[in-house]
Amino acid sequence: MDGVFGNLMLGFSVALQPSVLAYAFAGCVIGTLVGMLPGLGPLAGISLLLPATFGLDPIVAIVLLAGVYYGAMYGGSTTSILMRIPGEAASVMTCIDGYAMTQRGRAGPALAIAAIGSFVAGTFSVVALMLLAPTLATFALRFGPPEYTALLTMGLLVLSYMSGGSMLKTLAMATVGLLLGMIGIDAMSGYTRFSYGQTELADGIGIVPVAVGLFGLSEILMTAGQAATPPAQRPTLRQLIPSADEMRLSIGPIVRGSFIGFLIGIIPGAAHIISSFVSYGIERRISAHPERFGQGAIEGVAGPESANNAAATGAFVPMLALGVPTGPITAVMLAAIMVHGIAPGPMLITEQPQLFWGFVASMYVGNVVLLVLNLPLVGLFVNLLRIPYSYLYPAILCFCVLGVYSVGNSVMDVWIMLVMGGIGYVLRKFQFDLAPVALGLVLSPMLELSVRQSLAMSGGSYRIFLERPIAIGMFGAAAVLILLALKPLVFKSKDWRSDVGLDE
Amino acid sequence: MDASVSAGVAQRGLRGDHFAGAVLIAIAAFMAWENRVYPLGSLASPGPGSVPLMLALILGGLGLLIIARGAGSPLLNSIDWSESKRGLVLLIACGVATFALERIGYRLTMIALLVFIIGVVERKKVLPTALVAFGFAFLSYFLFATLLKVQLPRSPWGL
Amino acid sequence: MRNGFAGLALALTALAAHAQEVYPSRPITMIVPFPPGGVADITGRPTAAALEKVLKQPVTINNRPGAGGKVGNAAVANAKPDGYTIMMALSSVSVLPEADKLFEQKPAYTLDQLAPIALITADPVILVVHPSLPAKNLAELVALAKAKQGQLSFSTSGVYGALHLPVEMFLHAFKLKMRAVHSTGGGPAITMVLGGHVEMTVGGPASISSQVNAGKLRPIVGWGAKRHEAFPHVPTFKELGHDVEYYIWAGIFAPKATPEAVIKTLREATKKAVEDADFRATMARVNSPVQYLDAPEFAKYWAADAKRLAEVVKVIGKVEEQK
Repeated sequence: MDGVFGNLMLGFSVALQPSVLAYAFAGCVIGTLVGMLPGLGPLAGISLLLPATFGLDPIVAIVLLAGVYYGAMYGGSTTSILMRIPGEAASVMTCIDGYAMTQRGRAGPALAIAAIGSFVAGTFSVVALMLLAPTLATFALRFGPPEYTALLTMGLLVLSYMSGGSMLKTLAMATVGLLLGMIGIDAMSGYTRFSYGQTELADGIGIVPVAVGLFGLSEILMTAGQAATPPAQRPTLRQLIPSADEMRLSIGPIVRGSFIGFLIGIIPGAAHIISSFVSYGIERRISAHPERFGQGAIEGVAGPESANNAAATGAFVPMLALGVPTGPITAVMLAAIMVHGIAPGPMLITEQPQLFWGFVASMYVGNVVLLVLNLPLVGLFVNLLRIPYSYLYPAILCFCVLGVYSVGNSVMDVWIMLVMGGIGYVLRKFQFDLAPVALGLVLSPMLELSVRQSLAMSGGSYRIFLERPIAIGMFGAAAVLILLALKPLVFKSKDWRSDVGLDE
Repeated sequence: MDASVSAGVAQRGLRGDHFAGAVLIAIAAFMAWENRVYPLGSLASPGPGSVPLMLALILGGLGLLIIARGAGSPLLNSIDWSESKRGLVLLIACGVATFALERIGYRLTMIALLVFIIGVVERKKVLPTALVAFGFAFLSYFLFATLLKVQLPRSPWGL
Repeated sequence: MRNGFAGLALALTALAAHAQEVYPSRPITMIVPFPPGGVADITGRPTAAALEKVLKQPVTINNRPGAGGKVGNAAVANAKPDGYTIMMALSSVSVLPEADKLFEQKPAYTLDQLAPIALITADPVILVVHPSLPAKNLAELVALAKAKQGQLSFSTSGVYGALHLPVEMFLHAFKLKMRAVHSTGGGPAITMVLGGHVEMTVGGPASISSQVNAGKLRPIVGWGAKRHEAFPHVPTFKELGHDVEYYIWAGIFAPKATPEAVIKTLREATKKAVEDADFRATMARVNSPVQYLDAPEFAKYWAADAKRLAEVVKVIGKVEEQK
């Protein structure tokens, strides 16, 4: 333990120098800006700044990039809350209750809680990373294709069971999302499916155009056409600060979100996307007032935002402890280190302690700087709502087009967004939930790949899913969820859905 | 607001859920038909056609269930489409803008789109319309294309 | 042909818009058709960093994995030919259309859509197993696989991908059967062996050496003509008397229709970039020494390699049915 703190102090002694702090600050500002544009996520921000870091000291470079990273993660939640535009899959859940809070004049608390939740989750994850990385990483490796299949199946069912509307409609939407994910080149066989000769479609349908269309655009279509446009808001200082009640309600979701997010985040692969969905589902399930969700429940912002941030930090565990890359973001951060003559691998922590501890310290610093920077910015962002709606929504519309186009400089993406906006509008008229479409779309290729990989491993036997303890546990949980969902259908007993006037 | 509509259960007519379920079944049938060209493989080693077919079957089944349990849903013609007209105008305007984006460039497209929506659809005065349109187009271009180096299309005339 | 015209029209618009500009005037995207952790990514990132220094513009890596690299390869083949989209591809770039032919599918892209810029590295692949596997050398592995015909499994970078072909060559030469578990790249393939989900895989030295040195993977045999410098104790198929040889190479490509002047800039930049001391040091550290070839020589190398691999694909034929 002494070693840990000694090393950490060493890391901090570097990371807290004024010049280094200035870089952290700059990183957070740029990151927040980049993250606010839907389509430009943490990855784009880091990639763009990477060349600027080559001339810098490795620690400074990482501090700068960590700042961008955290800033971009947080920036994504700003547009979700204020405009219902999710910039990435992870903020889809935030935009549901976050935007509902904005409509009720509680945008300030939503943004503040998102910032606080991200800070708590980020700090928790860095501590866990520091103390438990090697142990956790070994556990994470036990997630092979069968476990992945189980995890993704469970994630889909958790959301379907716990989302707002009718269970049947939710499952139907998840299936539609999964089918959308089938478009493009099959990762397993190389067949190009449902692309109708469009080369852009062969690459698959991206999540950003779909999410921005379904959520952001459909909202504008719904609101802009109404006879009475929503009045511009005049937030007072009081409305910027979370009330004691909101703070109290957020503690549980933040803690649970941090924990769940971190555990899901350490699993190699892209499963961290489901962390915010799972967190939302769980918060809704255990809440005493599940009917508040979707109407602007602070828990629906606090949980997913924390989970999302914790998962992002968790993703560094396998990379640092095992040299196993988990995703593009970790790869870029490691590339920044590699340029300074360090090769990643399983021996990184023991061979390069100063680097590992510098990294840990800079993540702490990035988190703190972000909180200090963004809490005052909440006021600035919320004041955007003073703009009258008839000026605001055209600008948001242009913002959607700009963001979606910038993902891949592809007009096809903008078309997809427009089509999805129309579909989302109609679906909302028929009271269908949209979040499962987004979740289905991101999970679809992963789920299909892991099912087929599992069968290849077992030589075609489906027993592989029932022979591995982690997979059994998760499939068991999924089965329980289905049974619970069937109960009201069979016994006609009432659960909260009927209380709030929803069928089933 | 929607739950209150279901009070009119006694009325007869096509229900919203009946219609929605039928559309889902139609989508499922379409996907299953389009899927016919991809090999199904076997149960032990599923081919590229197997998962889409399975999903289409599930979707069809869910569509049937939604129809079966849809008796309590609002009547189809009770759904309020009052805002759809303006929504359609906005959607078409965006479509035209998308078509123009790579032809006349980002800034000109955005100015045209904003002038159309604020000036024509929302009937605002000329000066604020022009201010917002030009302000947004140039400021967002400067911020994202110049500062953050996002690649945005330009018109053949350089703007 | 419609595509051809569209491409031409696009190129003209691009030309008109950027007539006064000097290439490159904005960031360049380097597509890596695999997830991080494989040879293309490990080679691509330092290369991008070195190119940045020369071109004075960011060169950002964009991972576009799927189907053994086909997704990313096709994306570049069909990208706007303006020099702002380039690719770090592996040897599989020429195998995938060949495999499509075998299965009578319309290929997602063809080789004449791509222009070679430069070869960066070429290394023999090495077979690695999970340390818990009893087999310590090739003979033991073959014996084990014979005893458990069709029971052992290996992970690949995708059907007919850069890591699938060499294993099939080995299995074909020894008349073995194993289960192929296809992933999307070298990174996930190695992770699967580390977690003990499959028994073995192959990898380029860049992607496996740190794991081998830490004792997390056991190297068995190499595909080179001679032993790899970083693995002096690992024998090759050749020296054990088997005619099995395969190299995983990584090279830079651009869409075919990219203007000549832009290609020239890219070629000259790459030539300078590979001389960069930091770049050389990084590549040496991951045991993948630079094997630079400029476009004309690389084109020849590529053609010869493509021809050879097409033969291999024909000999191996359809592995199972392509799922």
